[in-house]
Parts: sequence; structure tokens; C-alpha cells
Amino acid sequence: MIQLIDELKVIPGVIGACIVNFQEGLKVTNLPAIFKPERLLVVGHHLLKLFSAGRESFSDLTDITLNYDESVVVARELEKGTLVFVICDPTFNHNLMAMSLNLLQEEYKLGDFSTEVAPAVVPAQPQADMSGKMQDLLEEMKGTLSKVLGPMAGFIFDEVAEEWIEQGVSDFSRIEVLIDLLNQEISDQDKIDSYRQLISPALKTFQKG
Amino acid sequence: MADARVFVERVKQMEGVAGCLLIKDDGVLLGRALDDAETYTSLMLTAAGLAGNIMDKVGFSYCRYVSFNRTNNQTFYIFPIDQYLLGIVQKADCSVADMLERVYQLIGRVSTDGRRTVS
Repeated sequence: MIQLIDELKVIPGVIGACIVNFQEGLKVTNLPAIFKPERLLVVGHHLLKLFSAGRESFSDLTDITLNYDESVVVARELEKGTLVFVICDPTFNHNLMAMSLNLLQEEYKLGDFSTEVAPAVVPAQPQADMSGKMQDLLEEMKGTLSKVLGPMAGFIFDEVAEEWIEQGVSDFSRIEVLIDLLNQEISDQDKIDSYRQLISPALKTFQKG
Repeated sequence: MADARVFVERVKQMEGVAGCLLIKDDGVLLGRALDDAETYTSLMLTAAGLAGNIMDKVGFSYCRYVSFNRTNNQTFYIFPIDQYLLGIVQKADCSVADMLERVYQLIGRVSTDGRRTVS
């Protein structure tokens, strides 16, 4: 099944794709590792709901497109309860994508993929106990990171924050550890300095209480 | 924001627009220029909510629009404008890029604080 979506990835602007079944979960994905399986599963479920809602109004619905500032998500139902969604750069070619999804859908119908199930996706562990104030600080740091790293900042921050939470207590006493982890991802001294400068007011405000 | 009915009328007159409606994010219908507006209202609210959830989950900053593409080429678009949702049915034979450009231009002019959000 991976080859079905690998063919989509050659389209200019396509970041990757994912096939999700409502009951079986995530079947296959070739999106970068930064897109965590548990998140893709949630996105897939939301898109399946959106498709159901769309079908109530439009019996001839083919695709749904969600156009965000940074990326575009295109979803196509392959069969009831199963859909493929593609994450692309906003500059992607709509017509080429529609044609490729038509071909993918045909191949999916011809192939016998009903018994293929990807290894079970372990649901994300709930976040460790964290005060609301601390969560607010992390949200602010996450938003600020986008000024330094651009559109991928949200993904990077979440991944780093998850690693940080797994390593120990998620409170302000370990905030420098989190910043060090983020600095490793930023990996450019000017940007590291800029990020430190941008988050300093939020850190000071937090300390003052 | 301009008076809702005037706004809807202006959108309706745009090249490429077959019909449109404007609702508030609590579902109240403010203006319409198409039949069966009520059937679109619940879809618009559901779509805006789910698009917002996906946005939060993946880490996107905001949603420009959601579109429902159909075999009859009458794509249905949902544009979030502050606390409002604009729904547009596209004419089957129009230039989509031109229509979207015109809609963006108008939305840019009426947006109250220059920032549009979903849900």
C-alpha cells in the first residue's frame, strides 16, 4: 500500500500522504516523522467526520480541501470509512493532484488492501501533570518559535516538548533544559539568540508570578 | 463589518459566484443569496469546527478556507471571517483562481481586525 501514496509524493509540493481507516486506524503514511502517527490518526478521524458531513449535503462530493496558511490538506474517501489525505505546500498543482487521486482510488479498488493493517498505533500518553500557567508559557514559546523557524515550528516544538516532558518534571525549574533542546533544533546561533531574546519577557513574567 | 445583506449581495455579484450565504459562528443566518441556505449552515459550522481542530492538532496558524469539491464542479467554499463564516457556491465554468482572488480582496476589505480564525 505504501507504493500507492509514494506515487503522490513525486508531485511537486507534496509533503506526504496518509491512509486512515476509521476502525483499523492508521494504515500507511509516508509523511515526515515529525508528523506523529497518533496525530495523523486524529486528523484522519476529523477528516472522515468532515467527509460524512459533506456527503449529507453533496452526494457527488469527491474531495475536501483545507487551505491553511502554511499548508493544504486534500482528503479523498477511498471507500466507506477509509480515506487518503495529502499534506502539500500551498503552491501544489490542484489538477495534477485530482488526477493522481483518481488513479490512486482506482488502484486501491483493484488491489486487495482490506486485510492489510499497519502495526497498531499506540495512543499518545496523556501529558504529565502541568500547571495551566506552565501550559500557557509553553504555548507562548511555541508561538514565538514560529518567528524564528517558520511554519514547521509548531511540529518541532511539540516534538521537543514531548521529549522534555518524558525526561522529567515539566515545571519551570527545567525550562532551560527545554530551551537547550529547542536550541539544538534551531541550530543557528543568530536564531538561537533571537529566540532567547523573544521569549525573555514571557520567562520573566512567569517568574514574577 | 459592512451590513451583512449588502455584503452578501456584493459577493453574489462577483464573477464565478453562483450563490452565497453569511452566518455567524453560532449558526445564525445573517444573509443569503442561494436556495436551501439552512442545509448549508450546519455543514459550515461542522466544517469550521473540524478544520479548527485539525489546525490545532497539526500546528497550523489559521485556515483560509475549506472547500468541498464536487463532480459537477460547483465547489462549495467556506471562508472564516472573524466570528463569521462565508459560504460560496462556485459557478461550474469559472476561473477558480480569479474567483478566489476576488473573494480574498473583498474579505480583506471588510475584515474587522485583519485576522481571520476558524471556530
